[in-house]
Amino acid sequence: MTRKQKRLMMLCAGLAVLAVAAGLVLYAMRDNIVFFYTPSDITEKAIPPGTRIRLGGLVEQGSFKKGEGAVVTFTVTDTLKTIPVTYTGQLPDLFREGQGVVTEGALDATGLFVADTVLAKHDENYMPKELADSLKEKGVWNEGKKP
Amino acid sequence: MSAAFALLKRDLRLAFRQAGGTGTALGFFLTFVVLLPLGLGPDQALLQRIAPGALWIALLLSVLLSADRIFQSDYDDGSLEIMAMGPQDLGLMALTKAFSHWLTAGLPLAIAAPILGLLINLEPERMLPQAIAMLIGSMALSLLASLGAAVTLGIRRGGPLVSLLILPLYVPVLIFGVAASGGMTQKPALLILAAISLASLVLCPWGAAAAIRAHLR
Amino acid sequence: MGGGCGNQGAFALTRSWSKMSIMQAYANPTRFLNLTQPLVPWLWAVTIGLFATGLIMGWNAPPDYQQGETVRIMYVHVPAAWSAMMVYTIMAIASATGFIFRHPLADAAAKTAAPFGAVFTFLALVTGSIWGEPMWGTWWVWDARLTSMFVLFLLYLGYMAIWQAIEEPQRAARIAGIIAIAGFINIPIIKFSVDWWNSLHQPASVFRMDRPTIAPELLWPLLIMGLGYTFLFLVLHLTAIKTEITSRRIRQMRIANIREL
Repeated sequence: MTRKQKRLMMLCAGLAVLAVAAGLVLYAMRDNIVFFYTPSDITEKAIPPGTRIRLGGLVEQGSFKKGEGAVVTFTVTDTLKTIPVTYTGQLPDLFREGQGVVTEGALDATGLFVADTVLAKHDENYMPKELADSLKEKGVWNEGKKP
Repeated sequence: MSAAFALLKRDLRLAFRQAGGTGTALGFFLTFVVLLPLGLGPDQALLQRIAPGALWIALLLSVLLSADRIFQSDYDDGSLEIMAMGPQDLGLMALTKAFSHWLTAGLPLAIAAPILGLLINLEPERMLPQAIAMLIGSMALSLLASLGAAVTLGIRRGGPLVSLLILPLYVPVLIFGVAASGGMTQKPALLILAAISLASLVLCPWGAAAAIRAHLR
Repeated sequence: MGGGCGNQGAFALTRSWSKMSIMQAYANPTRFLNLTQPLVPWLWAVTIGLFATGLIMGWNAPPDYQQGETVRIMYVHVPAAWSAMMVYTIMAIASATGFIFRHPLADAAAKTAAPFGAVFTFLALVTGSIWGEPMWGTWWVWDARLTSMFVLFLLYLGYMAIWQAIEEPQRAARIAGIIAIAGFINIPIIKFSVDWWNSLHQPASVFRMDRPTIAPELLWPLLIMGLGYTFLFLVLHLTAIKTEITSRRIRQMRIANIREL
């Protein structure tokens, strides 16, 4: 084999390996690698109580309740499944019913999610208040109430 | 091919007989694992939770620590120059040297890690996935280390520089490696880890050869 | 193959090689400087105009219906993040050009872009943190977007460290180029991190397949600020390239002097 053929062969082998790598990534992407799990994920995968996870979804309308002291409870939903959450502490500015939220903690034995961190997830929509109000009047937009 | 085998044999012999080879890497790994619970205090639950990640960080640092032996001594005594001038493909030589580094650092550590994991309360059912993930991931670590070592050839006090250069490239290996060691996203993470290793298998020797050539010019 | 172009006849080649590199350094960069330097004052004027317009419009833009006044941080944060990625792309392209064509101008362009990119990245990280504290409820999380952006910052630092560590410019350019090209993989990861992983960071609002999801009165100042950052980088980069070319000439003259002695 001449040197040229050898180099050509190595180039082809290299490209083939890279193609396999790309294929593996594409195949793996079918399962999501996630920052947080949705309520559906959690019910489906039957995560054992006490496992530390992040739970993300929307705060369900009308589910927010203030308890004693700084204790709050609300329900996180992905419109299919819901999980009740309890949390003690300061909520971020963007926390609203109907808006995205990511909480960190663990399920207890009764299926209640005990969170020690609550992060508000902002969506990609930005608009002035007047526009949001008029959209809401027309019924095409739902802002959510500030607790 | 036979030249690559000869080089592999020579590098393995050097790694086992010289100071700074497999023994040092294992020693460092052991030190890390022993110091961790002493520093954190006696919290078995906490240790169990962080054990997979801690083992990965120990692996990563041990590989990084031994990175400079991949090319440096050959560069110092001139044998790297002879290899570069010879008829063999320099990329293949770089691949061989990275492979011998993996055989003498990544492989023994990946085998030892789950056992040393006992010291930090690693769950028994996690041992096998941990070992498999580390076996696959450490290939990428050795290959990336070889790239870093080639890039910093001949730079005085290049050690900290290697860390700075290689750290960003190690981040994805660490993230997917820990995810592949157990938990709910084990399978996709393991696939991505394998993809990273395969991609580095092609790209790192090529980059390392280019860097060596630039340094020898 | 091997490091063919050199070692056997290294001593014989040194003279003619250095002559060639002096020629290279003078020929094209001179034309480049003659072309670009007259533009610099005008570019400064455009930059200042864009920043003034963008900042005033941003100041007067209506507050967001959810974030209130805090939304204005966007006008500093988002263009900084865009610029950080743009600068890295420019740096990687310049590095690849320098690597393939061995052109000193491309090397100088890549080298001088890095510090600006690092500053843009740092600015994006800090302003994002300031926004995240009240809005998300945390200064920092290790989600995919934030982590990949942090990795970008490290890549810039590593790139600059290589230039610091290797004295000879040609060699430093070649080595730093390898790092720049290897790190380029991070750019698509940053861009698509919010789509591939469900991160805490919000998905793309402006550069997306359908129309932007920012109301026009909030979007315009953002776009003008983005243009302002781009022009600011352009004018700073041109000035830095000029400085780099000049300092290389001084270096080469000194070396030539020593050789004559």
